[in-house]
Amino acid sequence: MGNSVIVRRLGLLAVLALCVVLLALVPHLPSYYVRVVDSILIYIILAVGLNLVVGYAGLLDLGFIAFYAVGAYAYALLASGQFDIHLPFIVILFIGAAAGAIAGVLLGFPVLKLRGDYLAIVTLSFGEIIRIAINNADDLTNGPQGIAGLDRASLFGLPLTTPVHFYWLLLVLAITVCGGVYYMERSILGKAWRALREDQDVVRGLGINTTTLKLLAFALSAAIGGAGGVIFGAFQRFVSPESFTFQESLLVVLIIIIGGVGNIVGVIAGAVVLVVLPEVLHFAAQYRLLIYGVVLVTVIVLRPGGLVSPRFNLGFIIRKVRTLWLSPSKT
Amino acid sequence: MALALENVSKHFGSLVAIRNLSLSFDVGSIYSIIGPNGAGKSTVVNMIAGSYSVTSGAIRLGATALNRLPKHRIAQLGVSRTYQNLRLFDGMTVLENLEVCFFPQSWLTFLTGAKRLSKAERLEICHACLAEFHLSDVADVLAGDLPYGRQKILELARAFVTQAPIVLLDEPAAGLNHTETKDMAAMIAGLKREDRAIILVEHDMEMVMSISDRIDVLNYGELLCSGTPDLVRTNERVQEAYLGTTEELDDIRKLAQSRRAQGGLRANAGIVRH
Amino acid sequence: MLDYFLQQLIFALAIGAIYGLIALGYTMVYGVMRLINFAHGEFFMLGPYVYTFIFSGLIGLGGLAPMLDSAIAIIASFVIVGLLGVAIERFAYRPLRAYGRLAPMLSALGMSIVLQSAVRVTVGPQPVHFPAIVPSTPIDALGGMVTTVQFGILVAAVLLMVGLTLFVNGTRLGIWIRAASESWTTSSLLGIRVNRAVSLVFFIGPGLGAMAGIMYASYYGIMQPTMGSVIGLKAFTAAILGGIGSIPGAMLGGFLLGAIETFGTAFLPILSFGYIGTEYRDVFAFAVLILVLLFKPAGLLGETVSEETTVAKKDY
Ligand SMILES: Nc1ncnc2c1ncn2[C@@H]1O[C@H](COP(=O)(O)OP(=O)(O)OP(=O)(O)O)[C@@H](O)[C@H]1O
Ligand SMILES: [Mg+2]
Repeated sequence: MGNSVIVRRLGLLAVLALCVVLLALVPHLPSYYVRVVDSILIYIILAVGLNLVVGYAGLLDLGFIAFYAVGAYAYALLASGQFDIHLPFIVILFIGAAAGAIAGVLLGFPVLKLRGDYLAIVTLSFGEIIRIAINNADDLTNGPQGIAGLDRASLFGLPLTTPVHFYWLLLVLAITVCGGVYYMERSILGKAWRALREDQDVVRGLGINTTTLKLLAFALSAAIGGAGGVIFGAFQRFVSPESFTFQESLLVVLIIIIGGVGNIVGVIAGAVVLVVLPEVLHFAAQYRLLIYGVVLVTVIVLRPGGLVSPRFNLGFIIRKVRTLWLSPSKT
Repeated sequence: MALALENVSKHFGSLVAIRNLSLSFDVGSIYSIIGPNGAGKSTVVNMIAGSYSVTSGAIRLGATALNRLPKHRIAQLGVSRTYQNLRLFDGMTVLENLEVCFFPQSWLTFLTGAKRLSKAERLEICHACLAEFHLSDVADVLAGDLPYGRQKILELARAFVTQAPIVLLDEPAAGLNHTETKDMAAMIAGLKREDRAIILVEHDMEMVMSISDRIDVLNYGELLCSGTPDLVRTNERVQEAYLGTTEELDDIRKLAQSRRAQGGLRANAGIVRH
Repeated sequence: MLDYFLQQLIFALAIGAIYGLIALGYTMVYGVMRLINFAHGEFFMLGPYVYTFIFSGLIGLGGLAPMLDSAIAIIASFVIVGLLGVAIERFAYRPLRAYGRLAPMLSALGMSIVLQSAVRVTVGPQPVHFPAIVPSTPIDALGGMVTTVQFGILVAAVLLMVGLTLFVNGTRLGIWIRAASESWTTSSLLGIRVNRAVSLVFFIGPGLGAMAGIMYASYYGIMQPTMGSVIGLKAFTAAILGGIGSIPGAMLGGFLLGAIETFGTAFLPILSFGYIGTEYRDVFAFAVLILVLLFKPAGLLGETVSEETTVAKKDY
């Protein structure tokens, strides 16, 4: 028995080490691959944020990208020649998150009374309104041309310019966001959200103000979206309304559904699949989108509950690791 | 604390579900509301809990008029309930179903943490409650995976876990078998306390008669009679409304007796609904 | 000014009728399946393509009388697009029924990508000229303000709507559809073949969408693979505006949206002293929608959903 414990622990260490090594290897890949990984990480952050609303609270939000746009434009306006304001990146990161949250609450208020699909369409409209407004407010946002030449970002004196720099930043942020959301999921707030998803009338009957609950979900997820947008702005050093179309909102929703709703591990898998798939399909030239669509439909028809089973979640993995480490004989 | 309905009416379109109903409930007793299907019992419960609006009249808890308040405010004031058709959070564990009840009730308590139970305190209360309702062994089972009888008990536990002074129970024994019903009756009787009013809607006469301090009989949305179990039992109008005319009742009795002689049917006044 | 107003009114009615026809497809599908069929805009787009294909095919074969060719091509597009809708429901949505509402929606999104890119790879992404079904000439009898195309669109759309209403309210199959929308379980318990009702809805909805597409393309004389996206979104807005699930609601929503958009954009620059221009046209639809839902959360003709009504549905 003593032997098998050692073997198991070694196995566990090996898996962990492999993960760390893989993550550490990324910066040494050619720049194109680093960019893809960056993109995956951004979408993980966005999808985990949106998942608070869609997966936990059960509210279908189809206008999520608007918050991302708010964050990106916060960076574009506060760190560029547009108004000759040049705030530091970290400050704008917080401003972007706050602006996202405020936009989230603003959106939240009118939609609180709505149920189900009405909510979906109102959030969708909201996203479109924001995009069209950005497109037309020429004085502020330069309209369709967008704003170029944004400041090079730096964080605590370290430059944030290459994809590798952003890789580290995004990795830290993604882990923080996943950890934070996981913690929230297990707190009483997370339980109230799940209850809300199951039966909102009963939740009200327990003395819980469902309006507050929904607003909180909207605000938190919008803050994450806003922060993601700031990083996107700093990364691209160019923003234009084109990046914030309805299709982008849908992509984030797709990541959540295809991975497995309400499951952080699923969201990560979904982001990897949906970001990598179009890249892999480059060879197919003009058939790329067609194949993408066919794969999408096939996957969902074959695995309607998402790629990752709901049981295989972060909690499961953590429990597994813990028991394996502390009392391996039980497993 | 006393709960009072004053001239309450409820209309659904042209249907008058409750007509000029006045009732009052004080802590310390178990009240039963009975009546044939469609008499308006659940409607009363739903109006008190704020699920249904009141067409006219007032519902007061102490000095507060409930019928103008949003539903969650009513619950915060100390009204908790169960539903005629089970409404548990099926995808959450038994323990979590109870824990949710302790969600901080306002922004302020949520943000500052004042008056807010710590996680340990919350869990302690919930575990104690589970033990009281014999659910400890299934604390980590998903509520939806429990057998029906235990789901009914879990819903009961959820209504009592916050120690609400007014508890509304809408047919807690519906769908339970004879033994389960007996257990349920004993359980509810044991929950009677000085600082709590239990308002029970139930079709099982044995249960109603054995545990109620007062019985209110509704028929077509109107109060037919109200009083102690003995009073109600012997009231002829009640028997007519509830079971048909006395002749019909005699026929049924005879039939039941002959069946029982054959050793089959168990007399059951309750109408099982799912 | 009055002439201008009349002209705008006719435009509003024509575009509103088109919105209404598409909205009907959204609403009927939503009614029976509680599904937002994101692929619906693509049926609208397919309409003119299928029409052109058949029409030029007929001409290639020698052709009959020109009007007859058009008529055949129109009917054929209805049927072909309708059947495509039925097939898509059968293979992409039906297997997902037991899996909540997000999975079918995702599938619909995927189908939308598939349809649009399929057209793109077969005929190319660029806009193509759409052959006029009737030559666009001003009708003198109506003061010269209305063209034959506008008039034709209006008449055809109204005929289709009246036909649909008669069908849904008066025939056995129509009653099936309404029953299935009301309650899926009860209908199946009563022996209604719910699956047939669903198939029927997926035939009629896309068919009507295709008709709307043909009207739209004849109005602007042009078609392109992406034309379904924005219009589809707006028609969906119209369906919600009227109250999703409600057939008269979809028609009302369509006309209202057409009117709001047209008059809003026409008069907004005047009202705002030129500050807000016509580029806000697309914002209009959405802003009005949000406003309406603030006061009528279930849309104009929709069933209000409160706890009182849901409890009633659950318990009885
Ligand atoms: N939400 C509602 N909408 C319309 N009618 C309703 C609604 N709720 C109840 N009713 C009607 O009001 C009347 C009283 O119903 P209620 O549910 O209160 O009866 P009940 O006494 O609880 O009956 P049961 O013993 O069957 O539960 C019935 O006629 C019912 O159809
Ligand atoms: Mg009842």
